[in-house]
Amino acid sequence: MTTGPFVAIKDVAKRWNGQLGVEGITLDIPEGSFTALLGPSGCGKSTTLRLLAGLELPDEGKIFIDGKDVTTSAASDRNLSMVFQSYALFPHLSVAENVVFGLKVRRVPKLERQKKLHRALEITGLLGYEDRKPGELSGGQRQRVALARAIVAGQRLCLMDEPLSNLDAKLRNSVRKDIKKLQRDLGITVVYVTHDQTEAMSMADTVVLMKDGHIQQVGPPEELYNKPNNTFVAEFVGAPAMALISSDGLSGFEAGQRLGIRAENIQIVPKGEGRLTCTITESEFLGSETLIGLDHAHATGLCVLKSGMALMPEGDTIDITFTDEHLHVFDASGQRIATQT
Amino acid sequence: MKRFGNFMDSFGAILLAVIWISPLLFAFWAATHSTSDAVNLRLFSPWTMDNFIVAWNGAPWLKYFINTFSLVTVILIGQFILVTLAGFAFAQLQFPGKDFVFILVLMQLFILPEVLIVENYAMVSRLGLFDTILGVGMPYMASAFGIFLMRQAFKGVPIELHEAARIEGCGLLGILWRVYVPLAKPTYLAYALVSVSTHWNNFLWPLIVTNSPETRPLTVGLSIFGAPENGVDISVISAATLMSVAPLLIAFLIFQRQFVQAFLRAGIK
Ligand SMILES: Nc1ncnc2c1ncn2[C@@H]1O[C@H](COP(=O)(O)OP(=O)(O)OP(=O)(O)O)[C@@H](O)[C@H]1O
Ligand SMILES: [Mg+2]
Repeated sequence: MTTGPFVAIKDVAKRWNGQLGVEGITLDIPEGSFTALLGPSGCGKSTTLRLLAGLELPDEGKIFIDGKDVTTSAASDRNLSMVFQSYALFPHLSVAENVVFGLKVRRVPKLERQKKLHRALEITGLLGYEDRKPGELSGGQRQRVALARAIVAGQRLCLMDEPLSNLDAKLRNSVRKDIKKLQRDLGITVVYVTHDQTEAMSMADTVVLMKDGHIQQVGPPEELYNKPNNTFVAEFVGAPAMALISSDGLSGFEAGQRLGIRAENIQIVPKGEGRLTCTITESEFLGSETLIGLDHAHATGLCVLKSGMALMPEGDTIDITFTDEHLHVFDASGQRIATQT
Repeated sequence: MKRFGNFMDSFGAILLAVIWISPLLFAFWAATHSTSDAVNLRLFSPWTMDNFIVAWNGAPWLKYFINTFSLVTVILIGQFILVTLAGFAFAQLQFPGKDFVFILVLMQLFILPEVLIVENYAMVSRLGLFDTILGVGMPYMASAFGIFLMRQAFKGVPIELHEAARIEGCGLLGILWRVYVPLAKPTYLAYALVSVSTHWNNFLWPLIVTNSPETRPLTVGLSIFGAPENGVDISVISAATLMSVAPLLIAFLIFQRQFVQAFLRAGIK
């Protein structure tokens, strides 16, 4: 047994004909954890996952799984499983054959195969569907077959590339819980790619936020939310995202700095008492609260939450206020400056 | 105007069908009547099966059938193996000079097989396969058409399936066998159809490389049987011809539906 992290990625880079895929990826993933790779489209999440899976080989850096250097090992030798965005079920095989595909390839005896199949189908609630072809299943059922195939062999590391993106919103919520429960119950390590920050924040122990092939911040969800490393993280994480105000609009800050503030920390106050005067651009009723979008010459993404149904007429001006302790300060290059209090 | 167009379409189709089937119908007519009745087209003359009996006893047909059957089988098996491996290499593997080699293979499509007969003859003799079934089949096994067809079919397989199989522990040949081949089944079926019918009917090449009844396929046997110096009449020849096309014809009639579907699914419309 090794004492290091279960999965270690050390300064890995991947380029295609000089075109950047990812660069300087360094990441430690402890055993039994749930790690989400989060970021906008094209930022290199899938590339990172595929490097880990062995579907791509890195140009630089090293990858260790369970203490073993697997940088150049074949995908089949890495002892991991993967769930693809499109599920990648074999259309000519039945559900049962799809699930035991890997066991058969690895020549697991028939009796054991059947036992494992039964267990995997039981966990994913697919008993009774053994003989169907993937084409005869709903999207949600196919997704569960893909999950069953990923867990049947008992691999300790499971990679998932946007496994929920083909499901409707309601199903997505319930499968999200199922996947999380599955990961906890089986104690497996999951690396999960998503571009949906609510998904990442609600499921992961550690969120890795990426942009343009580089990691921006690694940490538990609350850390990304409460202490964003830079303005990109600040504007990406949270719904609604953090508003950024340039220091020109507020007194007491150095020129070029930007201040972040979250909607829940902003209050509407009577005219003349606030720190900023803004114009209302939209009111969006969300159910338990109403999101009021605001416009100010020195700020982007400014909004405020009012409880209940509280639509406000567009074009009106209101005053808002907030306290300094809720402000996140970023320097001219967008990096976080430790709050001075 | 549109109705007239439709009418012309149907009319053309029916005309073509009639032209196409008339030799077969005439052969059927001639084979089931006595020679004089057949050539004089006496419509109400009596039917007879005698021609078939005469024809059957006139040559070692059973041997010819077995030869043709083994020939198409040997060719098909050889083609499946070569075409699968080559098609897979061209579709999914990276190697230097790949595009150049592929163009070389495609160029084979533009060369009439008859042009190569002398060269093939020399090759088969050098290999010591003269007058053997394997020798007759050999030059057709590396089929450019088949390689192209399988390459297209394999290229249509989603790459995620390939990757999923890799992660599940499959080697390259394992992936080919467990993923690509089963998914290309319709293409194999369509290709088999073309191959079998082509080689069932192939005549010139087998005529040249076979010279004993032991290896002669049906087509060659039939032509020798029907040669003018053998003095066989038209009704008997028709009977023999019908016998030699019957297995293929019956197979096509039975599997018509599957064949059409195979072609549609293989995307060659
Ligand atoms: N096979 C490839 N050849 C060339 N460039 C590639 C290849 N695969 C990915 N890239 C490039 O690498 C970058 C990262 O791609 P990647 O697929 O990892 O993005 P992603 O974060 O998964 O995005 P998405 O959320 O849209 O799936 C992109 O700019 C992409 O164009
Ligand atoms: Mg992706």
